[in-house]
Amino acid sequence: MNYFPDEVIEHVFDFIASHRDRNSISLVCKSWHKIERFSRKQVFIGNCYAINPERLIGRFPCLKSLTLKGKPHFADFNLVPYEWGGFVLPWIEALARSRVGLEELRLKRMVVTDESLELLSRSFANFKSLVLVSCEGFTTDGLASIAANCRHLRELDLQENEIDDHRGQWLNCFPDSCTTLTSLNFACLKGETNVAALERLVARSPNLKSLKLNRAVPLEALARLMSCAPQLLDLGVGSYENEPDPESFTKLMAAIKKCTSLRSLSGFLEVAPLCLPAFYPICQNLISLNLSYAAEIQGNHLIKLIQLCKRLQRLWILDSIGDKGLVVVADTCKELQELRVFPSDIHGEEDNNAAVTEVGLVAISAGCPKLHSILYFCKQMTNAALITVARNCPNFIRFRLCILEPHKPDHITSQSLDEGFGAIVQACKGLRRLSVSGLLNDQVFLYIGMYAEQLEMLSIAFAGDTDKGMLYVLNGCKKLRKLEIRDSPFGNAALLADVHKYETMRSLWMSSCEVTLGGCKRLAQNSPRLNVEIINENENNRMERNEEDEREKVDKLYLYRTVVGTRKDAPPYVRIL
Amino acid sequence: MDFSNSCSSFSSSSVDSTKPSPSESSVNLSLSLTFPSTSPQREARQDWPPIKSRLRDRLRGRRLLCRGDDTSLFVKVYMEGVPIGRKLDLCAFSGYESLLENLSHMFDTSIICGKRDRKHHVLTYEDKDGDWMMVGDIPWDMFLENVRRLKITRPERY
Repeated sequence: MNYFPDEVIEHVFDFIASHRDRNSISLVCKSWHKIERFSRKQVFIGNCYAINPERLIGRFPCLKSLTLKGKPHFADFNLVPYEWGGFVLPWIEALARSRVGLEELRLKRMVVTDESLELLSRSFANFKSLVLVSCEGFTTDGLASIAANCRHLRELDLQENEIDDHRGQWLNCFPDSCTTLTSLNFACLKGETNVAALERLVARSPNLKSLKLNRAVPLEALARLMSCAPQLLDLGVGSYENEPDPESFTKLMAAIKKCTSLRSLSGFLEVAPLCLPAFYPICQNLISLNLSYAAEIQGNHLIKLIQLCKRLQRLWILDSIGDKGLVVVADTCKELQELRVFPSDIHGEEDNNAAVTEVGLVAISAGCPKLHSILYFCKQMTNAALITVARNCPNFIRFRLCILEPHKPDHITSQSLDEGFGAIVQACKGLRRLSVSGLLNDQVFLYIGMYAEQLEMLSIAFAGDTDKGMLYVLNGCKKLRKLEIRDSPFGNAALLADVHKYETMRSLWMSSCEVTLGGCKRLAQNSPRLNVEIINENENNRMERNEEDEREKVDKLYLYRTVVGTRKDAPPYVRIL
Repeated sequence: MDFSNSCSSFSSSSVDSTKPSPSESSVNLSLSLTFPSTSPQREARQDWPPIKSRLRDRLRGRRLLCRGDDTSLFVKVYMEGVPIGRKLDLCAFSGYESLLENLSHMFDTSIICGKRDRKHHVLTYEDKDGDWMMVGDIPWDMFLENVRRLKITRPERY
């Protein structure tokens, strides 16, 4: 079958980077499977329990880069208990034992310990890049091992992790010989930072392109850092509560002006509004701006900054910008591709006229022709607005709308929002990710099943009437990979209608729905290639009673396809059927 | 916790205040009209709206005058008739609701603020001028600036 020698085929395969494409190639024939196996450098594992490290290494012995995801998405919102699982140590141990030449490790929602980090730092001589997103379980001591032992470290990127900060000297642990850093992000660290060590590190890292600081780095230090690193592309500033004195401000502004390569700005935790003007000179170059932590800055200051950002492609902001601010964004940011608007008042303590509504959303959809991804938290919505948005923006790939109050109807007509979301799925033929909210009946799911042909991920909360809703989705969305549902009236009939469907998906999450223990058991019985997990933190009570009521509703159900059977590391309150 | 019920009470202005039950840690709120009332359950929810912990923590801390992990504002709290008082870090709360919830838990009784009632304990505070005032009339930030100590009065006082 091969007309070319293996090396040639391998060379051709080198041009194919996408995981899906490489997976497809490996299915063509045995010969291609073999060539592909040995030439695969990057592996992506969306669910760490779908496969085990031994089989991974067995198939891809030459891998250099591994991406692993652990807990399900709703773990981000405290719905999954800490010890549920997703431990990275067994993976690192296996890779070390097999002497895999690991260079890059990217983890999301996994439990990482200092022990794992220490082992990682000592086992792979060529290790270059560590990216941890939403992970937990480690301290700055673990970071110290990485800094000290990874001689060729280029990237240390810590995003939104829960790190126990021992206020130690981890930054000091980078040896003087370490000059290869290109990316350093420690914005999520809560403790003090050794600023002197940081400055020395930045000064000896001429290739540093991305630097994200935590709140402890003071303004004067920021100015010095930026002076050392005018080549930065991506900067995350820390926290500047106090109004700067004129001299510091001038120095900062001078340093910022020199950073002509800066394209991405983030951080701004607790920023005194008067610090923002220092950044005005580089706004015209920015393509990415993340102000979602700048909770103290009022709308008008945000607007002044954004008005200068004409090239912006990505904007993450709080709803304190208001509809008025979004109109400014729509007028200014014609290149905008991705917008996220987060809520700033989650306790309802403010009588908030400044928050965003359907007006802002419609303005953005009308003004930004390249918009393809949106995450929008708001207090109210209407069908008319959604229909207009669908008409204005048929190119959405990701559409996530979160109306803060569950079950809230169209605030003008008091009807459900089924028609509005229906318009979105019908118009946006390339839609891959959708989150729905507000008052919704089964009808919206009929629309989703009918029209959302490319949909891969769907998030449902407080929606639907009957099992039909869930069935429409399961039967209709052929490309569905992840379905997560909470607080919706779907039960056993929907769960059990098509058990084979789940083997075509990565996972299903259902919490506070109507599925019962009996239903889950029946599901598990016929599915050797599915792990059906019941998470119930009140399990202790049940154990005492010594009898199981199959009619009892299951608190949290998480099921996923796997080729390695039941996992052995689950805590007692997770029951795998 | 049945969220769908509490949601309809978001816009109502009071929770039933005629059935205090010390054994539960429920809080009966009967707030004055100066600021919007919310169900205590809304504030306690850690899983809605769906935002990540880091942002949630940022927003919770936002309303406080005290910024940073190191600031605290410890005040003495006395229950009338009880000689030994407690101490409480007001910076740990984001508003009156969480303060009341916590105090009710701490003293194992229902405590309200803002309205005189023969049945409930009422929370009062001593301000910078030395005057004893009803808790709940002024915005939380201003309260933090003015409060010196707290006293939970016995019902029959009023």
